[in-house]
Amino acid sequence: MESRVLKPILALYVAAFILFLYGPFIVLGILSFQQGPDGGPQFPITEWSTYWYQQIFGLTPPSRIAPLPVGEALIRSLILAFMTMVTSTVLGVMSAQAFRRKFRGSSFVFYLIVLGMMVPGVLTGLGTSLLANNVFGITRHWYTTAFATHVAYTFPFAFLVMLAILNRFDGSVEEAAWSLGVSPWKTFRKVTFPLIFPGVLSAMLFAFTLSLDEFPRSLFAAGGTEDQTLPLAIYGTFAVEIHPNIFAFGVLTTLFSFALLSVYGILMGMSVRRARKLAMQEDIA
Amino acid sequence: MSDATVATKRQGPSWLILPGIVWMALFMVIPIAMICYVSFWTQTTFNISSTPTLASWKQFFASDTYTGALWTTVRIWLIVLATTFIIGYPTALFVGLFVKSKTLSTVLLVICVIPFWTSFLIRVLAWRPMLGKEGAINIILLKLHIISQPIEVLLFTELSVIIGMSQIYCVFMVGPIAFMLGRIDRNIIEAARDLGAGFGRIFWKIIFPLSLPGVVVGAIFVSVMVLGEFATSGALSGRKVNLLGNIIVTQVGSLKWAMASVTGVILTVVMGMVIAAFLRIVDLKQEL
Repeated sequence: MESRVLKPILALYVAAFILFLYGPFIVLGILSFQQGPDGGPQFPITEWSTYWYQQIFGLTPPSRIAPLPVGEALIRSLILAFMTMVTSTVLGVMSAQAFRRKFRGSSFVFYLIVLGMMVPGVLTGLGTSLLANNVFGITRHWYTTAFATHVAYTFPFAFLVMLAILNRFDGSVEEAAWSLGVSPWKTFRKVTFPLIFPGVLSAMLFAFTLSLDEFPRSLFAAGGTEDQTLPLAIYGTFAVEIHPNIFAFGVLTTLFSFALLSVYGILMGMSVRRARKLAMQEDIA
Repeated sequence: MSDATVATKRQGPSWLILPGIVWMALFMVIPIAMICYVSFWTQTTFNISSTPTLASWKQFFASDTYTGALWTTVRIWLIVLATTFIIGYPTALFVGLFVKSKTLSTVLLVICVIPFWTSFLIRVLAWRPMLGKEGAINIILLKLHIISQPIEVLLFTELSVIIGMSQIYCVFMVGPIAFMLGRIDRNIIEAARDLGAGFGRIFWKIIFPLSLPGVVVGAIFVSVMVLGEFATSGALSGRKVNLLGNIIVTQVGSLKWAMASVTGVILTVVMGMVIAAFLRIVDLKQEL
């Protein structure tokens, strides 16, 4: 059968695909152990060392290569990502909840929201900075204008995730609560929210990671150099000359992302287990 | 309690949608309207005033740099769309249809997603030591005696931009296509096979049409991101390849807000046409 011929060929193709996807990372990982401070961001490796990792943590004596200006930028980015995550998840849950009933113009509103993830960051960034600069005359900051554009970008993702969850949601449990006289808000808190919580976690994860790595919107909508988020700080370094410290930093941020993903996985596992336990108790009762 | 009130409560009050609408109006619709408006403003060397003029528009279409950027953007978009499809479809076919075990296909999808946990800019930069004259690819090819001279066109050319973008965006093709392929009812394929259809026929008559919504969603993702790009083209072409995004960045950098806005409007129009064309093929809301 064709799958006997085709399947191995496709398997090989996928292997090549993975190599293509990971090739640059392997090279990046290797070069992050380049000798410092004189080793350049290319082959050959003059000597293996952890110099660039030490430099990021400020453990090396000062040299002609300035350390990456990442400390404060990282904190700003984390705060911004957190703010964005909370806001867009709340907006996403609210909007998806409203979408459970067909209302007039719902299709228009759907596209209005989804457009937020389609419009390139350059455009929303440019438009927002035009507004701030030339109409309102306000100073742009990461926590004001950039925050607004970040939410306009991540909220659609949270909205779509919640919409997908609520589409498959069994409303009869809510009805049961209401017919017992429980108030809508309490029903949402005690019945609906625990049931959609896995979806909320995914929406949060989406919003947080998208905002953390968001670059074009911040480039326009955040202010000057004293206001840089992490991607802006990285962008600033490769305008001049790149050094292996940026590679070492890439390896570290990847590890950090893995840690974040693991936390998400654990939380997800816990909430699934709890739901299963509840279901079992119901069966017994 | 009457049925009507239960129904109202179940579906949630509709004012819940208001904050979302307001946010998108304030921070997406009005900014884009603002770009259109400012594109007709009068730009002087150091300042900009709201006196309406067509000067920036005329300047855009009179200059080879700007119109060139428009064509480069369209060209690179089409090429990257094609490469991501060619790279992505067979992979998605394997992950979504050929892999029988659920675990393996999940593992493969996770492998595809892992690179996204590295900063976008660092992923772009990682191509430099790959493609350079003394880069990994040249070293390997030289060691294998496939080439005798290092290939120089790999870095700081349009080719490097295309390679970089293809790698960064191909996963956005794989995901949606694999998802649609995974939903295909295996019985249909079995039935076709029992009736004597070969794989080619099954593929063109059943598999490909059913995966088309995934292709369109993937194409929308890739298009939107490639059209708005400027970082990859800037970093991998040594500023030789200028996309519309690059023009906007440089114009804003030199405080030429009107010109940046004209470029922004053109980018919006291109984007709108592309998305509208794709949405005509597939109704996104239906597929959810």
